[in-house]
Amino acid sequence: MGIGAELEKIWYFMKRDMVSFSTYKTNILILIFTAVFGALSFAYLGQSSVNQTVTQLYHTNYTTYLLIGLAFNTYLGQALTLVQKTINPWSLEEVLVSPTGLSTFIIGSSIWGFVWSTGVVAIYLAIGVYFFGVILSVNIAGALIVLALGIGTFIGISMIGSGILILTKQGDPVTALMTIAITLFGNVLFPPQVLPIPLRIIAYVTPPYYFMTCIKQMLTGSTIAMILPNLEILALMCAIIVPLGYVIYAWCLKTARKNGTLSWF
Amino acid sequence: MQNENAIQTINLTKTFKSKIQTSETKFFRRKTVSVNAIDNLNLEIKKGELFGLLGPNGAGKTTLVKMLCTLLPPDSGTALINGYDIVKEQMKVKRSLGTLFSVGERGFFWRLNGYRNLEFYASIYNVPRRKRHERILEVLKLVGLENNYFQLYQKYSGGMKRKLALARTLLPDPPIIMLDEPTTGLDAISSRNIRDFVKSTVQETGKTVLYTTHYIEEAAQICSKIAILKQGQIVACDTPNALRDKIKKSELIDLIVEEVSPAQIENMRSIQGVIDITEKNGEDLMPNQKGLSVELQSVDQLPSIFDFLFEQKIRLVNFKRNEPSLEDAFIELTKRA
Repeated sequence: MGIGAELEKIWYFMKRDMVSFSTYKTNILILIFTAVFGALSFAYLGQSSVNQTVTQLYHTNYTTYLLIGLAFNTYLGQALTLVQKTINPWSLEEVLVSPTGLSTFIIGSSIWGFVWSTGVVAIYLAIGVYFFGVILSVNIAGALIVLALGIGTFIGISMIGSGILILTKQGDPVTALMTIAITLFGNVLFPPQVLPIPLRIIAYVTPPYYFMTCIKQMLTGSTIAMILPNLEILALMCAIIVPLGYVIYAWCLKTARKNGTLSWF
Repeated sequence: MQNENAIQTINLTKTFKSKIQTSETKFFRRKTVSVNAIDNLNLEIKKGELFGLLGPNGAGKTTLVKMLCTLLPPDSGTALINGYDIVKEQMKVKRSLGTLFSVGERGFFWRLNGYRNLEFYASIYNVPRRKRHERILEVLKLVGLENNYFQLYQKYSGGMKRKLALARTLLPDPPIIMLDEPTTGLDAISSRNIRDFVKSTVQETGKTVLYTTHYIEEAAQICSKIAILKQGQIVACDTPNALRDKIKKSELIDLIVEEVSPAQIENMRSIQGVIDITEKNGEDLMPNQKGLSVELQSVDQLPSIFDFLFEQKIRLVNFKRNEPSLEDAFIELTKRA
């Protein structure tokens, strides 16, 4: 066979993937959006104002600030994708035909991910303390409250995203937007206070900022009273997002079952 | 009065909408089409019955199974499982049912062994904790996996995976079992093992089994009653023999006789009830033998044929009654519908 025939085969491989990819329209939009905003977040890392702002706001060095951010970022990432991992279509059908409730299914499927993430956070912090001179002053009760509220909020968001994924099959805009929000506005790599005011506003209306601010303060010597305004907003977000996520997830599941598309992926 | 039916569908209907491309060149030109997957279906399956649901691909068998196990809500109508409504009493329906889907390996965890996989499902199917271990060993033994339960699932053969799926179906000991094409993709021995197992389970435990398949003779071998499904509608529902009889227009008898003359064959044609006689040649016939295919109006005319042969001193060497196969019935009945 000549080179022409081989090139034609390559064209058909690409055409197959292109046509298949083009059917997931939501996913295409999300990928473009993620690329643009992902690049922005790293642009801010090199600014000298970041160090200064960290010292002013958290009374600690940038290494401690960054390490806590990265450690708990694994928690957020885990929480955001946990419900999604449970929607393997076949496993989902097998569980749905059993006499097991939806809440038990979601909680049961999520729990190991958090146990694992807790271990990862512990390793991050231990390495920071023993090898990089990270100084922690932990308010255990406060940290546990923040963690509980944060995990709840992000599982709620994950339920919304997973519900949409059950319908769109690929491309979940909620999780994708939240991932951008964590990276750019989530107070993980740099405080949003270094951002221009319009972007700062986005940080103040999204949950990652409140979670990360509260947890960083709880690990660097602040008291619950000092973080109360942010904690109250996080609690309010949790109270709204968890039931909303459950309702949306259940509705999307019901719709997919009605349309007979639950096992289509 | 207690409901005698294990499964009953009442005007059950399910329509799917899908988008199809209407132009080969213009990808985004599409239109929505509706397909009646289950069309006003009424079906009754008695308690303790091994009921076969037969149908070509796309007939609606899997859709029906998914509706009965509450995975797919009906558009209209309903069904009762063990007396419970599939729409209003889903949890009770789930407790009454064990379902094996056509792809047996679904929902299993490849990095766990057979025992651990069943342990997980035993918990979500509410098998009491103190009985769990005993029950898992029991079902593993029932399906013949008692020596492989500590083997990783990923190392199981196709037949073993299907057996484990069957074990999972039996785990909560449900009164009703639905098996959706349980032998698809299995070799002849594994298929027979599963069929024998299903048949003996029904006989020994009195469970009701809904067995869907597109293998006609498989259904004929084990099912006491069979429904033929086509485009979401039942086109026939009866015992395997009665289904064969439905397409039988006449009785066909094959005879091998010795020393018969053409005149005697002509006389035989005039016997009342004989529709036609055709002479057959066969390599296994001796020079003085002749093969005859006699078509009779009914089997009642058979003694007249034997009387005639006796009177004419024609020696009968072999006799065979030709029954239409269930496959003939299936093809004929689905064609008629």
